[in-house]
Amino acid sequence: MKKLLVLLMALLMIVGCTNAADEPKKEDPKTVTPSTDDITKMEAEITWWAFPTFATVDDTSGKYEESLVAKFNEKYPNIKVKVEMIDFQNGPEKIITAVQGKTAPDVLFDAPGRIVDYGRAGYLVKLDDMIKETKLAEDITSENILKASSDGTNYWMYPTSAAPFIMAVNKTALEKEGLFDKIPQTGARTWTTAEFEALSKEMAAKGYKGVEIYAGGQGGDQGTRAFISNLTGAKIMKDDLSAYDMDSEAGIKAFEYINRGVKEGWLEGNSAGVANDALDHFATPVNSTFWAVNLWSANLSKARAGQLAEAKIEAFSVNLPSESGKPQLEYLVNGYAIFDNKDETRAKAAKEFVKFLADDAVVGKENVLATNCFPVRKSFGDLYTGNAEMQFNAESAQYYGPYYNTVKGFSAMRPFWWGSLQSMLTGEKTPEEAAKYFTEEANKELNK
Amino acid sequence: MSTQTKPSIKTWFDSKSPKTRQTLTAYIFLAPALFFFLGFVILPVAIGVFTSLFDYTKTSFAFNGIDNYTRLFGDEIFLKSLKNTIYLVVIAVPIIVLFSLFAAVVLYQKNAFIRSLFRTIFYLPVVTGTVAVVVVWKWMFDPYNGVLNYVLSIIQGTEVNIQWLGDANFALWAIIIILITTSVGQPIILYIAALGNLDPSQIEAAQVDGANNWQVFRHIKWPGILPTTLYVVVITTINTFQCFSLIQLLTSGGPNYNTSTIMYLVYETAFKLHNFGYANAMGVVLAVFIGIFSIVQFKLFQTKE
Repeated sequence: MKKLLVLLMALLMIVGCTNAADEPKKEDPKTVTPSTDDITKMEAEITWWAFPTFATVDDTSGKYEESLVAKFNEKYPNIKVKVEMIDFQNGPEKIITAVQGKTAPDVLFDAPGRIVDYGRAGYLVKLDDMIKETKLAEDITSENILKASSDGTNYWMYPTSAAPFIMAVNKTALEKEGLFDKIPQTGARTWTTAEFEALSKEMAAKGYKGVEIYAGGQGGDQGTRAFISNLTGAKIMKDDLSAYDMDSEAGIKAFEYINRGVKEGWLEGNSAGVANDALDHFATPVNSTFWAVNLWSANLSKARAGQLAEAKIEAFSVNLPSESGKPQLEYLVNGYAIFDNKDETRAKAAKEFVKFLADDAVVGKENVLATNCFPVRKSFGDLYTGNAEMQFNAESAQYYGPYYNTVKGFSAMRPFWWGSLQSMLTGEKTPEEAAKYFTEEANKELNK
Repeated sequence: MSTQTKPSIKTWFDSKSPKTRQTLTAYIFLAPALFFFLGFVILPVAIGVFTSLFDYTKTSFAFNGIDNYTRLFGDEIFLKSLKNTIYLVVIAVPIIVLFSLFAAVVLYQKNAFIRSLFRTIFYLPVVTGTVAVVVVWKWMFDPYNGVLNYVLSIIQGTEVNIQWLGDANFALWAIIIILITTSVGQPIILYIAALGNLDPSQIEAAQVDGANNWQVFRHIKWPGILPTTLYVVVITTINTFQCFSLIQLLTSGGPNYNTSTIMYLVYETAFKLHNFGYANAMGVVLAVFIGIFSIVQFKLFQTKE
């Protein structure tokens, strides 16, 4: 009887709370509808989650983003924006947790790989109308960027800036050893696998650590994918993106090449590290000096400038080595997504916020510069006139490969990539087994 | 015109016998806690068990009976994670309990200053927070810039680049070491408190009767601290079974799932592979294992009273 009474009381409380929750919350700013047609007067409260893509101000994460909100509020004083910074290692899981718990942010600043996946899963607001309204398609620098923002049916991301992923060498160390002239220094700075291997061996003989093959997690794993596949002319995916292709002859050869390089000591295998560790090792040498790192970009160059200056290292950007001397690069596209929180007012406010961040004549350009990438709008013009490093980055755009980060199951493929690489580095799988395991599992995710 | 009034809750309550009123009052006070317990513990558990019977992904939610459970026992990665979890429990729990007991017994005999100092030292990793502790350990284990390889290089006179977290021979041991250092603080505090609650006259009487230190510990102190031991063993076992953040922050379950535990695999399956139903089935199996271990421990350590 007592047990029954306890259960009854609990049920009554749950019912009571459910009823209370169903009543409209008159004072909740998130559900207030605009009282006027003037969009700048609309009232709403939205949340913006951002990966640390913008360069930091005073080395303080989120400070730049807060300053953007302050500028936005000068124009839209009644739209409150709460900024939350998330990191590349755990941010994706935080987003999924929030979506499952119905606490997703309104705006996300990220890249197409995840965003299009969220769109395909029905988590996002379609941005087709916004792209049409702002005439982005007429102003876009590359059709590939718009394609990367879509799943083929709808646009899920509002792109703002783009830049290629390349690699960097330690110019200071190479000059000290009299080997800097072996680095390509003109045009798109491309070189062949044979040239890279010869230099790697020379630097190893002088006591330097080679390019680090990190395989401890998914952070920055695009670096190893592009680096490894280019070495033998392999392709992570077939050109038509119909299947993963690393079990091809060239793919297996690429895994074997890495395994040989690590065993011979002119490449470094770090089965517990991620890209961030490799970048730290490159920019802040303590016990060992790495002469090159396989993940670099204009944005990373800016973000790591302080570390490099402190270590008295000058980094020099070069293209990825490839069998033919014509690499296929992965590239970063930055953009915004809007989560569908079933609240039209918040979605509308989020769109205004995104338009302000991306397209405002002043703030839009400032934001592109803060990512150290190139604008996706032709009308923004050349923001880096006279900057040799950025001219090199711009030239590298000709080597953009097929953008496979938006294929189905892309994010689920990633654990299999670094997992395969890791099992090869630890000797638990042969290079051929690792290449085949990755391809088989990645294709399963693609075709699910 | 009739002015008949409805009986209020107060009059209904007053009409009850004192015993019923007392019982009802107790339930009313219990209700908020009960609500949170049902809403935040029982309900999620029930949802977890329910959804473990579904093919539940980002885009589908279809009933598949016990398929997730049958699939588990043919899943090499799950079995490897299960083995690692049991390995972690079997090695770490006895070390944590024995070391805590030893440290508490030794510290209890010291003066108040020394006792407080070491209590603080042992408890520091607990209050510092896992992330901060892991950042330090990660730096120490770094194969290129870490202090461990640096010290070994000096001792050996040649470069040492051991992949502490990336080599299957070392990784799980590295996790166990950190787990032990972050887990002994609480049991030491509890044991010191338990030792303080023992009746000193019993110990003195035994010593007067000629009992040596071991006999005093075995026949007077140990029975007195057995309830604390039961609590420490059960809680440490549950915490070890649920070891997650260390692994997520240090190894992501690698190399090649050699440090993956069931708890980490639940996370990876749910949040990286987005297979929520299958992850929930793993969670249910983990709960069953924890239940079995806890029952065995209760049977082993339960005092007669």
